[in-house]
Amino acid sequence: MSHEHKPALDGVEIKMGYRSLGDHLAPGDANAPGGQAVPGLADRFETRTVQPTAGDAPPWDANTKFTTVGTDVDRVDGLAKATGRAKYSYDMTFPGLLHAMVLRSKVAKGKLTGLELEEAKSMPGIAAVIALKDLGAKVRFVGDGLAAVAGQNLNLVRDAIEKIRAQLEVEEHNVDYVVADNAPALSATGEVEDDWPENAEITTALAEAAVTHNATYRVEVQTHSSLETHGGVAKWTGNDLDIWLSTQATFGCRGELARALQGKGIDAGSVTLHAEFVGGGFGSKLTAGVEGLAVCLLAHAAKAPVKLMLDRFEEHTTTGNRPGALMQARAGVDAKGKIIAWDWRSFGHCGFSGNGGSVAVPNYYTADAKVRRDHKDLAADTDPPRPMRAPGHPQGWFGAELFLDELAAKAGIDPLEFRLQNDREMIRQDQWRFAAHKFGWAAGRARQNEPGARFVMGVGLSSARWGQLGNPGRPPHGITCRIHQDGTVESRSGAQDIGVGTKTVMAMLTAEELGIEPRLVKATTGHTSDPSGPASGGSTLTPSIAPAVRHAALLAKQQLVELVAKHLGVPTADVVCKGGKIGAGQGQLAWEQACKLIGPNPIDVRGQRFANYDGKPFHGSQCGVQMAEVKIDTWTGLVQVTRMFGIQDCGLVIAKKLAESQVLGAMIQGVSYALHEQRIMDKRSGRMLNGDFLRYKITGSQDLPQLECHLHSIANGHDSVGAAGLGEPPSVASAAAIANAVFHALGAPVRHLPMTPDKVHRALAARKG
Amino acid sequence: MTVPPDRGVSRRSFLKGSAVAGIATTGITAAAHATAPSKPASFGPGEHEIVLLVNGKERKVKVETRTTLLDAVRDGLDLTGAKKICDRGACGGCTMLLDGETITSCLTLAMDAVGHELQTVESLSDGDKVHPLVQNFVHCDAMQCGFCTPGMVMSSLACLQKRGKPTDAQMRHDLSGNLCRCGTYGRVMEAIQRTAVGGGK
Repeated sequence: MSHEHKPALDGVEIKMGYRSLGDHLAPGDANAPGGQAVPGLADRFETRTVQPTAGDAPPWDANTKFTTVGTDVDRVDGLAKATGRAKYSYDMTFPGLLHAMVLRSKVAKGKLTGLELEEAKSMPGIAAVIALKDLGAKVRFVGDGLAAVAGQNLNLVRDAIEKIRAQLEVEEHNVDYVVADNAPALSATGEVEDDWPENAEITTALAEAAVTHNATYRVEVQTHSSLETHGGVAKWTGNDLDIWLSTQATFGCRGELARALQGKGIDAGSVTLHAEFVGGGFGSKLTAGVEGLAVCLLAHAAKAPVKLMLDRFEEHTTTGNRPGALMQARAGVDAKGKIIAWDWRSFGHCGFSGNGGSVAVPNYYTADAKVRRDHKDLAADTDPPRPMRAPGHPQGWFGAELFLDELAAKAGIDPLEFRLQNDREMIRQDQWRFAAHKFGWAAGRARQNEPGARFVMGVGLSSARWGQLGNPGRPPHGITCRIHQDGTVESRSGAQDIGVGTKTVMAMLTAEELGIEPRLVKATTGHTSDPSGPASGGSTLTPSIAPAVRHAALLAKQQLVELVAKHLGVPTADVVCKGGKIGAGQGQLAWEQACKLIGPNPIDVRGQRFANYDGKPFHGSQCGVQMAEVKIDTWTGLVQVTRMFGIQDCGLVIAKKLAESQVLGAMIQGVSYALHEQRIMDKRSGRMLNGDFLRYKITGSQDLPQLECHLHSIANGHDSVGAAGLGEPPSVASAAAIANAVFHALGAPVRHLPMTPDKVHRALAARKG
Repeated sequence: MTVPPDRGVSRRSFLKGSAVAGIATTGITAAAHATAPSKPASFGPGEHEIVLLVNGKERKVKVETRTTLLDAVRDGLDLTGAKKICDRGACGGCTMLLDGETITSCLTLAMDAVGHELQTVESLSDGDKVHPLVQNFVHCDAMQCGFCTPGMVMSSLACLQKRGKPTDAQMRHDLSGNLCRCGTYGRVMEAIQRTAVGGGK
């Protein structure tokens, strides 16, 4: 890393933005530099003066030359994972470890009136049996936890669970939000039939429109399906509790459990949570849940370490989901194809909790339109939603982007042209053009399906947006950085790495700041004995901790520089760390030599996350565009996604290979959401019918499209690093792009996800009329 | 218990395949192992001690008749690479090789593995020495959360041993029993291909 900032009168001048996307087109390509440029692509730079907090690292910007950041470094814990050595919470074991299970309600709604635990307690090999609900407590859904058992092995525990007798006063239940009391009326074909509430502005705008459209969209409940289920291992040492929990919020869950134990009158001396490896979360693991507390209580009661991991059915039915939704839009465009009216309402499936079913919609197409948006959550007697990779967005973008394509078709405008005409965000304007070229949009649209052909093809597109620049935390997030005498470096965060590559990012940022190779840095995450950090939620983790990692490395470097300056007899200000060397001019020490100046105690500092810079960053959100091609068998109704291209604003790309993995993975999850996934409930029993991986289908290797992504690196100028998280941003567009491709291929929209063969056939039948 | 007559893999080809990395599954083979007393005379309620031939070593483990191979290996032998993800043979997270063929160890009873050669993901590394396939999983970043990865590695190993240089369609087929929620299939296939052409050594 090397970059001299121009001193500004009041702060530091930085260059924000990005080089023309045209520079990323392949050499030899007609649109490569020197060739015929894609019209409209250009350099997008701005300069601005920012004021870093005193003592923070100076900002990186578009002029910074990196040595490590942005390169293809191997995932630092990749070997641990690929050899099977990585120990997830589920893998933790201790001498005398007991295993545990939860007894769950088979009834969707009622009241617990009796719970007989004595026989279970007397079963062979059983060490502890606890109630999870008081008598008289409400039972809210099939799967609600009633009691928990710990014993020598799961076979014996299962035997004991069967001996617990729970009496319930059963009430009538409803697991389908679409028929909830306050649900809108639906037509036989599923269109929302309720009148639109009166709004004079919207009515006038619609009346003035050259073309209008009105349609209803629907998405089904998707479960997170993390491969490591929720749960963990609890171990008490006297009053001190250590818990290994499969979580994406180490500090949040630690606090939740400590408070809950206190509430139960259990005096915990210390509570330390560990989550070094986490087998997926996707939003479902922000809370410790019933199972998290149960394992602590069982271990306390049994006076032995206990492991409690949910089984697959429990994972599907008790740990949240991406809610289903009904969405209806009506809108109008003027004669030039400009959207002038946009009326939207949605209804979310929120389970028993009564909230969390919200739907988000793009707002950048309708800047000049009369706009109304309304949402209502509808309750049902099921497990409530939890955030899932861009909460509300894949649902809303599917509805809105498919609606836009239908509207464009009515108006006789190409979908891409329609987006270019209405999208007010400059970054995405560039991305649309770039993606269209890389994907071959024009050729894909021009291809005609033979009349009567069995296989038809089509292409579709969608935008994406997510707005998250990280936050300092309150109190601020911290990072420990240590430099040892032997030249090794530690970067430590108590936050978790759920597979996005947090440890790799920490090692790379530290190495960049110290001017050394990343292999010298050991990054550690997931123990709440280390400095606090945020949850992996809303793509906040990376942008929130990256500047703290740099700050910690900077503080450590400053101490080492002082030692080196003293040793060499040069002014501190002249000493530079670069290329594995530290020194000034001719006087240079190799990193290992320099570190020998450190005593037996390491340099040990704590950096912190400062607030984002005041004023406007280059862009307040992350833009993206995805395009998809599908091939549909009109005989079987099976949709196959053959090809996808995505361009994603990633802020500063740090670990390139890992960032690509995350973007491509989001696209695959989008295929799954678009085509396969659906929680199917039995109305009578209130139970999920496909709560396994045999009948709950997620995308597998046979469904894999040809995938390509472009990481759009943008110097955003919001803090000293300018990183972005990639959990949410690439998850927004995929299903919508696929739905639009299906619309193009069939000539009729499938307005209901997942787009299973039955729905494809219905769309074909409707087209024939 | 009899060995299924046609598993499509001879002992010779299995050993040859296992030694790809120069990490031989040395030691006892099923033929030699068969003479060792390994099964109790009768099965009843409660636990019995059996001997499993795991990664070339005889390992004693106590199991009930209903104990799965996966539970026996994870809880009894502390080999925790294989994961219980779906517990129904639908996800491949528990994939091991039995006489060179992939099995879902969550659907295999521990007692049924007696007398057979079992290979787990742990056989592909020994300290700093790792199988090229494992090296290529890291190089190609064929993982995110990593929970499905050990199963993916074992299915990929079987694919390579069976196919040599597998085609795209063959890889898709051979990985179709393994689910990955993070979406790493493409990169797993890159890792297989890179191994097939001698990368990662």
